[in-house]
Amino acid sequence: MNALVLSAILGVVMMFSGILLKRPAAIRSVAIIGLLLLLASNMLDMSGTRFFSINLGDFLHFDRFAFLFNSVAIFCVLVYVLLTGKAIERVGVKNYADYFALFFFVLCGIFLVTSFQSLLILFLGIEIITIPLYILTGSDKRNLKSNEASLKYFLMGAFSTGLMLMGIALIYGAQGTFAIEKFNLLKIPGSPLMIAGMLLMLFSMAFKVSAAPLHFWTPDVYDGAPTVFTSFMATVVKAAVFIGFIRLFENAFGLLQPTWQLWVALMAAATLFVGNITAVFQQSVKRMLAYSSIAQAGFMMLAIFALNGDAKEGLLLYGAAYSLATIGIFSVLSRMDDYSYESFNGLAARQPLVAATLTIFLLSLAGIPLTAGFLAKFYMIKAVVATGSNLWLVVFALLMAAVSVYYYFRVIQAMYFREAGEHSASFQEPGKGFKWVLVLVAALIIALGLFPSLLLNWLYF
Amino acid sequence: MIHLLQANISTSAPSSYLPIGLQIAFAAGLVALLMVLTHLLGPRRKTSDKLQNFTSGIESHGDARQPMAIKYFLTAILFVLFDVEVIFFYPYAVNFKELGWAGFGAVLMFVGFFLCGFIYIIKKGALKWED
Amino acid sequence: MPINYYIFLAIALFSIGVVGVLTRRNAIIIFMCIELMLNSVNLLLVAFSKMHHLAAGATPTTGIDGQLFVFFIMVVAAAEVSVGLAIIVMMYRNIHSVDVNFLNRLKH
Repeated sequence: MNALVLSAILGVVMMFSGILLKRPAAIRSVAIIGLLLLLASNMLDMSGTRFFSINLGDFLHFDRFAFLFNSVAIFCVLVYVLLTGKAIERVGVKNYADYFALFFFVLCGIFLVTSFQSLLILFLGIEIITIPLYILTGSDKRNLKSNEASLKYFLMGAFSTGLMLMGIALIYGAQGTFAIEKFNLLKIPGSPLMIAGMLLMLFSMAFKVSAAPLHFWTPDVYDGAPTVFTSFMATVVKAAVFIGFIRLFENAFGLLQPTWQLWVALMAAATLFVGNITAVFQQSVKRMLAYSSIAQAGFMMLAIFALNGDAKEGLLLYGAAYSLATIGIFSVLSRMDDYSYESFNGLAARQPLVAATLTIFLLSLAGIPLTAGFLAKFYMIKAVVATGSNLWLVVFALLMAAVSVYYYFRVIQAMYFREAGEHSASFQEPGKGFKWVLVLVAALIIALGLFPSLLLNWLYF
Repeated sequence: MIHLLQANISTSAPSSYLPIGLQIAFAAGLVALLMVLTHLLGPRRKTSDKLQNFTSGIESHGDARQPMAIKYFLTAILFVLFDVEVIFFYPYAVNFKELGWAGFGAVLMFVGFFLCGFIYIIKKGALKWED
Repeated sequence: MPINYYIFLAIALFSIGVVGVLTRRNAIIIFMCIELMLNSVNLLLVAFSKMHHLAAGATPTTGIDGQLFVFFIMVVAAAEVSVGLAIIVMMYRNIHSVDVNFLNRLKH
């Protein structure tokens, strides 16, 4: 609750800081201080210090899992602002503070989605997340690609919101309440209203996390949006919606698992297939990362499929590992002016440190041992094996993980084994702070890969 | 006494739709009557000047369906936003007495956030028409 | 009236909206179809709210949350309208059209 109230207030503070402060560096400092406060207040809340005592009724319930993910999300946004905050100036200095205000509002939505107890709050949270994202996608006003991406995202997003609302209305008709813990699934298990509502919810949530076959908007939107904002929406937001997804299906539809499990399995397999196979054929690294985010979403879908203790731990680890690595890669990408593979040629010779950290991020995404990405994938596979059925899914996921190595290694190969030619793009010389944060994130990914208990122990102590 | 315009919601007999029917008949009848009356009673002089559109004495030219200046768009959108937020006052108005001071505090907070948004759009210059 | 009538009406309106979104080419009309979808949900929620209220009998507050939800849908829809229309106007300024067939620059 601390973080939820504070993030809403900080959003308003950021709005006005744009009017009062003129220097971008000052605005950025306010945002960083705000994020640190948010992180501290969330940690305090987790350890039992509550600033507000509000009767939350059936609307919200903050459990340890939600608190821990919220901390991870705030930390990822902090890393994001530290790494790419300066690059946002290139999108527009005039509205610089407003972008940070939108980040805080998105965080507010994330806190709602990760701890909702009522479908009303889930709906509000999802909308508070997506409406700022429409704005961020279209923030490059003169760029036709950005316009197109935001219009597509908006129309498709609003459409899926309509589907979700219809699902909620049908569930309300069957159950007579929006509070998910009061659902009585045993009384009327096969009620057509309930099943129809659940499927509509499944489709709309799949849309929001870009799972196949509802992934078609993702590559265009991620490609068209300004690179700095793609980094934000492809990482923290996606992981948060997954937390809401698993919360919904565990707490609300857990008893209906036999009905939806096969659907989710097929969706996960299709997502893995589409994401990985299409990513192989991409010529632009930005577009490759868009497809890679679909592929990673396929792995996270496995957690929804399995729905056990391992799955929840794994999802947390996956969210952290994937978000950190992708934010790191995008922060490097946003300093280049060309996104083709050739532009990475010979980067290792010019920027050895940046290339080394980038390699760690890519290895983590590909799931190579000793990185957090490997352990996250391992937890997912373990969770699916523990269900004891659908072992074809495990084999398929492993196969697809092997395919993903190809396109991640193409970037590493370009950096280390290609000569810098005429294609290699100019790379903005990074400052000392940027390099330090990059090294810190890389170290964190290795540390989580060796000792996942660093993160997961927080769930229990 | 029979309340002609008071629907009895506890039964769903056809007679309970009578008030609605009366209202529709009254509304349609009034419109028809007024139109017929103006047609019959009003004087008519059909000269070419009379048939022209009257716009404060300026000679009219061109089509009325021209695109409007886009700066009105922002004002219109902001109006829609602030207008719709007001629906949260309806449940509060209905339960005004029961909610007491706690409800008043909550609504005050809501209005406070609202005002923040309003000050923000003024400071951003969203309501300035001349530029 | 039986609840079925309301369900059929709402589903019909919703389907009209869905078909409109999938077949129309004008961004504004697509947008109106989405609004139609949201409003059919509002209708359904109010009908269900009344149904649960009548079914509960004694307790007067049962079913009130359905109507509460409708308020939130209306407000969120207004927020979406303002952002969506702003996006459409922004696109119109650049390409002087609101036809979604022009949205093909991102396809390689």
